[in-house]
Amino acid sequence: MIFNMNFLLLDYAIRSLMRRFSKNFFIFLILSLLIFLLASVLMIADAIKLELNSTLKTLPQITLQRFIAGKQSDVPIARAEALLDIEGINAVTPRVWGYYYFKPAGVNFSVVGIDAYEEQYSPTLTLLTQHFDMKLLANKESMIVGEGVKKILAENYYSDFFNFITPKGEWKRVPIAGVFHSDLALESNDLIILPKKLAYAIFGMEESKATDIVVKVANVKEIATIVQKITARYPDMRAITQDDIRVSYQNIFDYKSGFFLSLFSVCAFAFFIIIYDKTSGLSSEEKREIGILKAIGWSSDDIVKEKFYESFILSLGAFLVGISSALFYVYALQAPLLRNLFMGYSELKPTFLLPFSFNLSMVILLFLLSVPIYIAATLIPSWRASSLDADEVMR
Amino acid sequence: MIALKDVCKSFMQGDESVFALNQISLHVKRGECVVLKGSSGSGKSTLLSLIAGLAQPNSGEVRVDGREISKLPERFSAKLRRQKIGFIFQKFHLIPHLTALENVITPLIPENLSLSLLDEKAKTSMEQCGIAHKASMRVNRLSGGEQQRVAIARALVNQPLLILADEPTANLDENLSRELIAQFEKLKDKGITQLIATHDPLFFELGFVDRIIEIKNGELV
Ligand SMILES: Nc1ncnc2c1ncn2[C@@H]1O[C@H](COP(=O)(O)OP(=O)(O)OP(=O)(O)O)[C@@H](O)[C@H]1O
Ligand SMILES: [Mg+2]
Repeated sequence: MIFNMNFLLLDYAIRSLMRRFSKNFFIFLILSLLIFLLASVLMIADAIKLELNSTLKTLPQITLQRFIAGKQSDVPIARAEALLDIEGINAVTPRVWGYYYFKPAGVNFSVVGIDAYEEQYSPTLTLLTQHFDMKLLANKESMIVGEGVKKILAENYYSDFFNFITPKGEWKRVPIAGVFHSDLALESNDLIILPKKLAYAIFGMEESKATDIVVKVANVKEIATIVQKITARYPDMRAITQDDIRVSYQNIFDYKSGFFLSLFSVCAFAFFIIIYDKTSGLSSEEKREIGILKAIGWSSDDIVKEKFYESFILSLGAFLVGISSALFYVYALQAPLLRNLFMGYSELKPTFLLPFSFNLSMVILLFLLSVPIYIAATLIPSWRASSLDADEVMR
Repeated sequence: MIALKDVCKSFMQGDESVFALNQISLHVKRGECVVLKGSSGSGKSTLLSLIAGLAQPNSGEVRVDGREISKLPERFSAKLRRQKIGFIFQKFHLIPHLTALENVITPLIPENLSLSLLDEKAKTSMEQCGIAHKASMRVNRLSGGEQQRVAIARALVNQPLLILADEPTANLDENLSRELIAQFEKLKDKGITQLIATHDPLFFELGFVDRIIEIKNGELV
């Protein structure tokens, strides 16, 4: 067909589309809107999944929390050293961290206290702190903040420092020593890193305690046994493994996906109404035209070919418009509205950028679900009309 | 050029089938000009449709240019129609919303000709029919007579060997009718076979018409 392309036929098809402009334009709009919606949702889901996976990779293998009366409470740091004699444990790090609620913007910042002289317990922190002189940070009692934090503070007139309020009601003025950029956006955007001493002061914690303890093991297969040994020794401690977190993230995400599955079915429903309308018959005017074309010497092949061009142009056009506007909407505009629906699980977290991920198989799937189906729905009734006697159709 | 043998065509009207054509046999030689007269409902249009392959007979044989058009595969009967036959329909059957020029070139589209050749052919036939000045008008804005001439220009555009005309003067005044008749005469001089169905008396006393045949209630008399 390509090497024997009849451009006059193509031209006729384009004119024919333009002749029924309002009807075709309406179908074009609906089709591109549907494709836009589905593509956007799938792109957002993909981006978030990507983001989650990269975050999960940086999580500690085992996190130990202490619970008293069902509430999480601080862990004595002495326990961290004691744990080292359990076989299979490579490293134990007590962490000092927490959330700081920033009222004017209604968001939580993650505040992490670090010890400049220690090795960092997570690869993210190592990466983040590599670019800054941590010892200087400790001496000056200042902090490094994520881009999201920086933005929110600046919006509230804190351009180079921030006044934390301690539980005792005192003000703690901390200058901003730097801002970090990271592609680990989901985790680092709302992050504030400062010296441990400052963190203790801001949270009003005793310096002999830690928020929790993270454990690194020699062999990931031993995680379950090591967790057993730890909880046997300290019955008031609860262990969360990387896998536990993955499962809970996945659950929330799947729940959201269920919501979008229903959106999906609404779209599919709308699409099939168009298809149904198309296959259920041609207007008498369209039928007459087919009859006339046959009568003046077009074969059914010519007619079907012409209809193929028409529907191909329309549906491929709608597809391309839908996909490209979805790309623009999701990655350039960062998916306003839809994104919020998806991001519900990361409550109160400052915004982060959706990472770009072009999923070719998704695009192909959407293509197959729209273009060929639309073409078939157009061709079948035209082919039927064109195989009748011209005399019948023209009457 | 045309050979019909015992052709019958019936239509379902309600529950019973009614014969529109009954045992028609007819021969038209190459280059002949035949006028087919008959009152309304006598079956003229039906007969022309069968010859052009637009409808299938219930029984009998319809041959055009030696080939049995009703038995040809669709692709070939379309080609025969496109290349050898020019059909002037009683109801014009122009495609509304297309311009006169677009209507005239439509039969040529499947031929995949070059644009210049296409233009030349369309221009020639529109000039012949005196409608070239309305080339870019949409046909549904044209008068009945103008539409008629566009329809004739479309029938002539592929320089057919056989013209089938169904009431070609029905929408023309006497002057235009005479012009059209002069055109038929020219076609006759070029050796083109013509079968003209009409009840316009102007056609009944023309020197170039070889034969006048009459059809009554689906039978030739
Ligand atoms: N598709 C059809 N379905 C049912 N009846 C039909 C059909 N086509 C033609 N007829 C009938 O066949 C008969 C002949 O019709 P036809 O159109 O051939 O007449 P005609 O001689 O061309 O008349 P006119 O001069 O009015 O155009 C008519 O009685 C008509 O009702
Ligand atoms: Mg008639």
